[in-house]
Amino acid sequence: MKRRTLLATGIGTAAAMTWSRRGWSQSKPFDGMTLRLACVNDQYSPGIKTLAERFKQESGVTILVDILGYGELQTKITTDYVGHTKGYDLATTDNVWAPQLAEAGYTVTLNDWMKHDAEEMKLDDIYPVLFPALGNYDGKQVAFPLAGYANVLAYRKDLYKAANLQPPATMQALVSAAYKLTDKSRNQYGWVANGQKGAACAQDWMQYLAEVGGVLVQDGKPTLDAAPNVKSLTTYRDLFQKAAPPGAVNWDWDGREASFRNGLAANMQTWSVGALGYFDPTQSKVTETAALMVTPTATGMKPRYGIGGWGIAINADIEDRRKEAAWAYIKWITSPEIHKALNLLNAGSFLRKSEIHDPQLNQKYPFLPVIDESFTHGDPDFRPRVPQYPQIQDILGTAVNSALVGASSPQDALSAAQTQALRYF
Amino acid sequence: MSFRLTPLQRRSIFLCLMAAPAAIHVAVFALYPILRGMGFSLFQMNLMQPWIHHFVGLRNYTDALTDPTVRRSLVVTIIFTVGCVAAELVCGLCLALLLWRDSAFNRFATTLMLVPITVTPIVVGLIFRALLDPSFGLIGYWLLQAGLAPPQGLLGDTHTALATMMGIDVWEWTPLVALILLAALKALPADILDAAEIDGAGGTRRLTRIILPMLLPSLFLVLALRFTDVFRTYDIVFAATAGGPGDSTNLLMLLAAKEGLTFFDIGYGSAISILMTLCIVLMVALLIVTLRSLDRRMNQA
Repeated sequence: MKRRTLLATGIGTAAAMTWSRRGWSQSKPFDGMTLRLACVNDQYSPGIKTLAERFKQESGVTILVDILGYGELQTKITTDYVGHTKGYDLATTDNVWAPQLAEAGYTVTLNDWMKHDAEEMKLDDIYPVLFPALGNYDGKQVAFPLAGYANVLAYRKDLYKAANLQPPATMQALVSAAYKLTDKSRNQYGWVANGQKGAACAQDWMQYLAEVGGVLVQDGKPTLDAAPNVKSLTTYRDLFQKAAPPGAVNWDWDGREASFRNGLAANMQTWSVGALGYFDPTQSKVTETAALMVTPTATGMKPRYGIGGWGIAINADIEDRRKEAAWAYIKWITSPEIHKALNLLNAGSFLRKSEIHDPQLNQKYPFLPVIDESFTHGDPDFRPRVPQYPQIQDILGTAVNSALVGASSPQDALSAAQTQALRYF
Repeated sequence: MSFRLTPLQRRSIFLCLMAAPAAIHVAVFALYPILRGMGFSLFQMNLMQPWIHHFVGLRNYTDALTDPTVRRSLVVTIIFTVGCVAAELVCGLCLALLLWRDSAFNRFATTLMLVPITVTPIVVGLIFRALLDPSFGLIGYWLLQAGLAPPQGLLGDTHTALATMMGIDVWEWTPLVALILLAALKALPADILDAAEIDGAGGTRRLTRIILPMLLPSLFLVLALRFTDVFRTYDIVFAATAGGPGDSTNLLMLLAAKEGLTFFDIGYGSAISILMTLCIVLMVALLIVTLRSLDRRMNQA
């Protein structure tokens, strides 16, 4: 009896092992494959690198994560695509690159795969605005949403309280509060934004402009010097000259963030991805006094919360089997469980409603309701999604900076910008 | 029938073989890219719009020469180059003369002088951007408090940004100029200088009549090196001001890199680069002519 039991156990175990190995190999169809991912150096990148090990354990696929600076990433993947060198299988892509990627056909259009795997991927759990915002142009999904950021207002609740002011509900209230909260004798400023020439000041002004109803491209033509845009740049310039800390005209994201974390500025519009840092005593002096809220819009205007972030795209040149493996990775990294794990690794990059309502993540990120509201009523087009976007951004980067430093009037700066922009349309 | 090479032929072949690696290097890494760039500049060619690729002749050049941004950048680049090279030459020569005498202090000072050259330009740009920031910078804050800097800081004001960038470049590269000239000074024949001193020539006379004429080859080397380098400056300005405020520090190299690497407009970017190369060739040619005529005049005197 004992021997029979032993024998039965042995056979059973062997059968189970054989079955499980077969099952295991079936669930690892790309076992042994290596994929290269070009990833921008952002808050979520270390998490992507850490989780690559877990993907290898679960799928047998090695993900080599190459973390690159923004410009380096753009140059490397573009030359890879143009030269058809297949250097990277996957790449994180800025949302503003989507029109050019779609037109050139450099990345795989994911629409069919998404349709096929919609249920498995729980696509209805992802905020709808993130699909157009993070990799879609003209109906083509050329990158899958990977890291969604909301443009939010970070403000100092202690200063508002001391001045007997309410957090601003409208853009007009924000501007007014910025002046009231400026006290240069105490080295206290009511406002800060990126002022440095180039992408930095262009992007921050575009967000501000969207909130006051400005439009940069209409019916396929640039409208940079439209009257509302000039008016908005005039107000923006005044804010810089009267309510921003000295040197803000030469600050990019780092300088702007540092000024808020050091308690120099009372209000700052920013991307939610960095917000965790305001509440971290090792990085911030305003841990107890900082708060986040949705960005205010002009009186009477429908909210236009800016949505930004990164998608993840598959190189169109690679072999079909590698494309399938790359898609399997995208499905995995954006799955509810793994994306939550990514955010537990401080990614600050959200996609799913289930994440936003997750108690564990809410404990870590107390401002998730603000992101929920921003994603629910977000605007994917606060920066024009057109193939000429890089040129527009650059032209505005010079024009806005010229106005901020007083080298040109807002009208002259935007008129010159409009003339330049017309060359590209 | 057998070939027998004459000693002269053998020597020629030997010399050709010796020069071959350098010639191949120049052909592959300098000549070929320049020729490719020249070819690209004749096409309308954007990597993000691969379906648009056609010959446009010199249109990229005419567009560049009539583009107000390129013209402004050219003026800024020329001011930056001439200002930096002149200041580096004068300061470098003064430093070299001060350190000429062999002493323990001068040897120590020469070693210390090497420090700025060893720092990567992009890091120099970042360091000075941080130091000169009027809110957080160690220098910028106090300059603002003392009323010696504009409210937006030296790098944030259109009237001071270019001069400040020139100062930073001079800080970094004057030691190199000084070192080259110091080496040249140390190689001067002592007997001629001693003879001049015995003949009663004063310090200024010795400098202008003996030392500077004998330094001409080294001066040419320094000027050629610095003119070509400064004209192509990119990283230090990119890190410190990104070409701003406005267009006040927008050098041609920044413009060419942006066209090529941000907009991927290879045709237009190449045209700007070729125009830059022509400017450099022109400057060095002018330098050669000027120095030759100076040399002739000094020899006649």
